[in-house]
Amino acid sequence: MLAKKHITSSCTISGGAVFKNGKPLFENKEEDISAFLLSVYQHFQLSYPKFYKMDNLCKLGWLAAEILLKDTFNKEKYKPEEVGLVLANKNSSLDDDLKYWDSVKDGASPSLFVYTLPNIVIGEICIRNNFKGEHTFYIQEEFDTGFTEKQVNYLLDSNILQACICGWVDVLEQEYKASLFLVEKEPDGYSIEFSAENMNNCKA
Amino acid sequence: MSSKVYIAGVGVISAIGNNVAEHLTAFEKEAAGMGDITMLDTIHKGELPVAEVKLTDAELVTMTGLTTHNSRTTLLSLVAAKEALADAGIPELGGFRTGFVSANTVGGMDKSEDFFIDFLADNNKGKLRNVFDHECGSMTEIVADQVGIRDFMTTISTACSSSANAIFYGARLIKNDVLDVVIAGGADALTKFTLNGFNTLMILDKQFCKPFDEHREGLNLGEGAGYLVLVSDTVMKTLNKEAYCTISGYNNSNDAYHQTASSPDGTGSYLAMKGALAKSGLQPADIDYINLHGTGTPNNDSAEGTAIKRVFDPHYPPMSSTKSYTGHTLGASGGVEAVFSVLAIRHGIIYPNLRFETRMNELPFEPETKFLKGQNIKNVMSNSFGFGGNCTSLIFSGV
Repeated sequence: MLAKKHITSSCTISGGAVFKNGKPLFENKEEDISAFLLSVYQHFQLSYPKFYKMDNLCKLGWLAAEILLKDTFNKEKYKPEEVGLVLANKNSSLDDDLKYWDSVKDGASPSLFVYTLPNIVIGEICIRNNFKGEHTFYIQEEFDTGFTEKQVNYLLDSNILQACICGWVDVLEQEYKASLFLVEKEPDGYSIEFSAENMNNCKA
Repeated sequence: MSSKVYIAGVGVISAIGNNVAEHLTAFEKEAAGMGDITMLDTIHKGELPVAEVKLTDAELVTMTGLTTHNSRTTLLSLVAAKEALADAGIPELGGFRTGFVSANTVGGMDKSEDFFIDFLADNNKGKLRNVFDHECGSMTEIVADQVGIRDFMTTISTACSSSANAIFYGARLIKNDVLDVVIAGGADALTKFTLNGFNTLMILDKQFCKPFDEHREGLNLGEGAGYLVLVSDTVMKTLNKEAYCTISGYNNSNDAYHQTASSPDGTGSYLAMKGALAKSGLQPADIDYINLHGTGTPNNDSAEGTAIKRVFDPHYPPMSSTKSYTGHTLGASGGVEAVFSVLAIRHGIIYPNLRFETRMNELPFEPETKFLKGQNIKNVMSNSFGFGGNCTSLIFSGV
């Protein structure tokens, strides 16, 4: 029997609203995704100049990770190598790929080119938090929570990681959705059991 | 556990030669391999210089006995791997646990690009059998098969440090008694994919590159392959020859700064050089020559130079970028330059850094500009730094 794990924090950004642990923290019915993401950054008083250089997929994933970890995550508990990520989405980096392709007509843009891979968002989160554990990015038709559960259980059960951020970060033009979960071995005040079902319940 | 990992054979092909002997001649003659694009079918012909291997695909097919179906990456890989294995001259190879650790970054992209043009126009055109084996691992499998290696094979793809990591991994396989003999290195062919990608990043020089020069403007892409035959001390004792040298140090560290640029203070490269020195038990003053990563881009050379200053100040060994001859062979560069590093020890030579004129403002040192013979070279450091901040330093030491 493998040890139980715990979702000690969750964050969803979707439909103009930001939720942490199921509670709404911020809402802005701004239609334009870039303006909305900037308003989230400003509302939470985040300070990270590199944010402005990121493509929308990285901005969305990075913001969700900031809010996921804000105030509650004790980084001191883990070595950098003990924290990793397992993320997935449907549209890969297509949002930025299309913008890059547009830019090719009048001189391809290096700043768009460097974001034409989906796993760059993992890199941005790792650089921000000094995480150095294993990480993987999957492309799926829809968020396969059962698959993610298996992957994360494997990483934690075999002690490859002690904590893992998992979930979904997807952007295509004006459509976006992020649902991130912090999974740890020890429960804390908020925590719920780590399972596909609980991820399904939270992600809505 | 083998106490030491020996280099018993070397093989290389690049724009300046099709084998080791031709390379040594080209180095002494200071004959760079760049020129106008002649083989690659691209809109950049006549505009961007590249360093092409001076053999057509057809000539490489004849030379290797492979088929026209095979990618140029595979063809180059087989030429250099065969040379290295023949050079090592291990009589009873079948009696040892033997592996092939090969790196590349483009796989069979050259052939995918041929297929893609017709297929895009009409998706009923083209046969799947012409594209099924273009991923990076296929290059390794085909070559391993050709040279008869069945015990172990793997492919490493970590951008421009790929081959250095292959050698690093090969050395560890021997040190930990997993294998007795490893052919380690890598190959990459020029493709539209890489040329256009690097052009988008605006880091290609329209002239021949000038690594470590204040007025450097970017890199020239190249192609090629380079392999070392690594053997355990047990295997070395059975050979009727002296080892070239040992691999005494290696380290891989990540810069964690930017997708396609090094941090200004070269954190990753600093950690890689420091780590390799620590592994080898050597001091900076023990290094007799550094084969620089030295791509010729403003960013790389400034970051690498800063890191070298942090490690070596105030006593700088001779150093140079052989990319001033071969261009940047990407996934092959770590293997190609490991061969050059090994040859520097064997022949007591230091390669010139071609076209260098002006020392960089921020650095108190400059690269060697003359071909030097008769040097006493015991320890050579070879740097390979890749996109994604993937930084590797290797150290080779005379026996």
